[in-house]
Amino acid sequence: MTRTDTEKRETAGELAESAREANALARKLGLDPYDVQYWVVDHDEMNELIAYDGFQTRYPHWRWGMKYEKQRKQTQFLGGKAFEIVNNDDPSNAFLQVSNDLADQKAVITHVEAHADFFNNNRWFGLFADGDGPNAAAMLERHAKRVEEFLEDPEIGREAVERFVDTVLTIEDNIEYRRAFERDPEGSDPDALSDTLASLGVSDEVRDEVFTEDWLEAVDAVDGDVRFPEEPEYDLLAFLREHGRTFDEDAGKAVEFEDWQRELVEMLRREAYYFAPQRTTKVMNEGWAAYWESTMMGEEAFADAEEFLDYADHQARVLNSPGFNPYKLGKELWEYVENRANRREVLERLLRVEGVTWRNFHDTVDFEVVADALAPPQALDAVDPDDLDAVEGLPGGYVDFGALAAARERELDVERFPWKLFTYEGLARRHYSLAKPQYRGFLGRVTRDELESVSRYLFETEQYTTVEEALGDVDFAAGWDRMFAVRESHNDVTFVDEFLTQEFVDANEYFAYEFSQTRGDFRATSTAAEDVKRKLLLRFTNLGKPTIAVYDANHENRGELLLGHEYNGVMLDLEQAEATLKRVFELWGRPVVLQTVTKRVTDAERKRARRNDREPDPEEIGLKLRYDGENLEHSELDWGEVDHLAADDLDYDTKPEEWL
Amino acid sequence: MGLREDLERFREVGEQRRQDLAEFIQYGDLGGSGPDAVRVPIKLVDLPEFQYDRLDQGGVGQGDVEPGDPVGEPEEGDGDGDEAGEEAGEHEYYEMDPEEFAQELDDRLGLDLDPKGKKVVEETEGAFNDTARRGPRGTLDFAHLYKQGLKRKIAMDFDEEYVTEALRVAGWGVDEAFQWAREQNVPVSRAWLEERARDLDDTDRWTSIEEMEAELDAEPTQARIRRGGAGKVPLRREDERFRHPKIVERRERNVVVVNIRDVSGSMREAKRELVERTFTPLDWYLTGKYDNAEFVYIAHDAEAWRVERGEFFGIRSGGGTRISTAYDLAEAVLEDYPFSEWNRYVFAAGDGENSHDDTEENVIPLMREIDANLHAYVETQPTDGVQTGTHAGKLRDAFGEGDGVAVTTVTEPGDVMDAIETILSTEDNDEN
Repeated sequence: MTRTDTEKRETAGELAESAREANALARKLGLDPYDVQYWVVDHDEMNELIAYDGFQTRYPHWRWGMKYEKQRKQTQFLGGKAFEIVNNDDPSNAFLQVSNDLADQKAVITHVEAHADFFNNNRWFGLFADGDGPNAAAMLERHAKRVEEFLEDPEIGREAVERFVDTVLTIEDNIEYRRAFERDPEGSDPDALSDTLASLGVSDEVRDEVFTEDWLEAVDAVDGDVRFPEEPEYDLLAFLREHGRTFDEDAGKAVEFEDWQRELVEMLRREAYYFAPQRTTKVMNEGWAAYWESTMMGEEAFADAEEFLDYADHQARVLNSPGFNPYKLGKELWEYVENRANRREVLERLLRVEGVTWRNFHDTVDFEVVADALAPPQALDAVDPDDLDAVEGLPGGYVDFGALAAARERELDVERFPWKLFTYEGLARRHYSLAKPQYRGFLGRVTRDELESVSRYLFETEQYTTVEEALGDVDFAAGWDRMFAVRESHNDVTFVDEFLTQEFVDANEYFAYEFSQTRGDFRATSTAAEDVKRKLLLRFTNLGKPTIAVYDANHENRGELLLGHEYNGVMLDLEQAEATLKRVFELWGRPVVLQTVTKRVTDAERKRARRNDREPDPEEIGLKLRYDGENLEHSELDWGEVDHLAADDLDYDTKPEEWL
Repeated sequence: MGLREDLERFREVGEQRRQDLAEFIQYGDLGGSGPDAVRVPIKLVDLPEFQYDRLDQGGVGQGDVEPGDPVGEPEEGDGDGDEAGEEAGEHEYYEMDPEEFAQELDDRLGLDLDPKGKKVVEETEGAFNDTARRGPRGTLDFAHLYKQGLKRKIAMDFDEEYVTEALRVAGWGVDEAFQWAREQNVPVSRAWLEERARDLDDTDRWTSIEEMEAELDAEPTQARIRRGGAGKVPLRREDERFRHPKIVERRERNVVVVNIRDVSGSMREAKRELVERTFTPLDWYLTGKYDNAEFVYIAHDAEAWRVERGEFFGIRSGGGTRISTAYDLAEAVLEDYPFSEWNRYVFAAGDGENSHDDTEENVIPLMREIDANLHAYVETQPTDGVQTGTHAGKLRDAFGEGDGVAVTTVTEPGDVMDAIETILSTEDNDEN
């Protein structure tokens, strides 16, 4: 055993207890994680795992090498240690770096448990799972082996495989991520005939003799009166796998895919669907893990006193990395979800006190008194190991009496694990968000609009005689309950859509920005919640990519593929689009066309804008890109031809009128 | 299978597809690179995909800003790890560090610059063998001290019994015994004999000294010591020795590069770009060759001032040109980098214009005065400009081979590689 192996074993031994206790605490807090298997790895292995998206094996491809390089250089420059990696599988596998100190390791473990809960409960992950879990590691390994076989097959050859994988990867994001992964997508198709022939067991030679390509195509052409696909198809990979061809240079025409090619498309497509839920819930998931990690490490002092400082440093670094930070946005939103739900619960009580209405709320309610009432009782907040009677004296629903008994027998270390004495309700009260110093003003900051809207749905507005009485009925777990419900049902799009309010944007100082052509740099455009939301949704919807669908598989009645870009106010990167289109050709075998809307600023407009020192106003024009295997041509389209692509209600452009 | 293969494959792919080095330097986008990372665009834009136009996309940030405020160039910080299925398509660069770049440039230009180690950066402790007269108690070489004491004792030692017998010779007193002892090279003192003589018994035991000598043998010191131990060993202060370690010096290969640029009105965009394309690779090259590289950026028109790297290539001022001001400033700055400890390079660029006489009167003497591995002047003369500068010509006249001065002219991006080659090989040649 090498020295590092010994180190790993030792570290693993030390951490086993932490892992067990973290899981216990997580469950007490209401989390319900997949079982997690922890592994201790060294720095190189960690970087490898990250390169492979948290798995040990992937199909051979240089993209992993590139990821690894990027990761390695980033950690060099930013001094960031790769902290954790956990994958979505049942059981989940999580990897801890051997060299990290104990505080970091504990932070990672608590973080991981929260992720595992998210994987297990969020319904979007359920879209992929088989019934017995995703079986991801097994799947990825199978794929890796298969691709390796292709690479080594002398009939196929390395170049061809790599080239084909490259091609498929260019459209790996163009899937229907909202749908569950369908292994055999139904296709209503002219290829049914080919399939029937295949199933008849007719030999290739006979088939080619009688049913020549031309004949088959003619059949397709006849059926071409019926629009195909009937509805725009968003899963490009599935469509191309079914109906695409590849272009044979020598033969000078489109030919059927080889079996290995079809298989490869399907494998990569499956992987894309596997990873899609993670990508569509990244903000939620990271925020969720950061939130619970903080609760466990900071508030429950899962870290010892000395470790806590290291931990604070760790959190600071993670949350303050530059640029758009999903951890931060996610965590802030979750805290907001919690606070809002708790506030609503309190409001629903207070507004039912005799004499309190939404109009006079701020005048009749003494927020100091309320704050005091909401604060957790002393014995719950800070457990005195020598005074277990005080714990026993707490409201019954808060206490885990079995644990209390064990504590009295000295079978439980109350000093280290005070949380073991309590139930979920008890812990919810203990960590009640509105009682935390940083949120004490939250209740009072409620707007009149919200007060009015809450009271609209209240029956029995005179239920309580005093504020004290009302507060006695407060469900302190309202915040957490809501959070657990949301983590099940939402994804980043719906999460942001529902919870990003003006109050949130103001409190956390978010803003939207755009590029200014006049100034040549990026400038803030707005701090209005709708605009910030729009920019975020642009990033989250459809995996942050423009929506491209197959509109016609028999364009111009010549079997050309027509793709439509569903324009939402933000144009395509045309250079990239051209390059991608060329790749799509390799999967269709016949000319491919992309219709889009792009923005153009005329010279005249630019001059005018400069003279008036304002942002130039671009005109939106229809554009067609067509690639036939040799030439790529641009042509302008009448607006009528792209009208159907430009959704009027969606516009992600936030530049205000009087911007600069 | 495995990451190692994937990594190799990536490097192969990157190497195949990246721009040729010369093409990159002369025509490529230098903007993606920084002082420590040379990012050469990969010719085949790898893995394209359908994506939004980056500029049109805009984004979201956090901070206390008003609409209309500029916000920094958005960076994609994704937090740590855990990026499932993240696109690989964004990265279009083959990245190398300055060392690799320098290596490639060496290969390309056929150079072999060997940087000199100068500044003593580390004094490590070698074996603890050197000694000194003074030092901390803990380093006292006790063995030495004791040995010296022992030697001293042995030197002063004598067989007391034997010498006492000399006093027992009939008729002999202290004087006789003392004289005899001296003749025998016995280190006895007169006082000792007197003391002994005082209470002596049997003073006539021997009739003569010859009789005594025949009868008895002096016991040699070794035997005596072996028999009875060394007893008290006198330790003297002057025998103290203190050990200290031998100092081993490790020299660092340092370099300070002074980049000087004419930013006067006549230096327009085309010229500025040529300067950037020439200087930037030189900076990378030297960063890659030396352990520790520092950079000084001086802009000048009729006056000189220091600037940061970021501003250096973009600045433009009005006014005339007086190149010596830059060299004055350079000389002052270089006082912090003595030539005994630092390798020094002074690169200047402009369009050859200078104030009347300034070249001969000031610049040339300054260039002679400032010790450096290499001085260079890059004259940017775009073909669409009017050639009026004489500075370069004068430098060529004043300095010949072996003077450590390179003068080169660049009229268009295609000349940049030659210019770089001229500059770097001047030092190379001078060394060889």
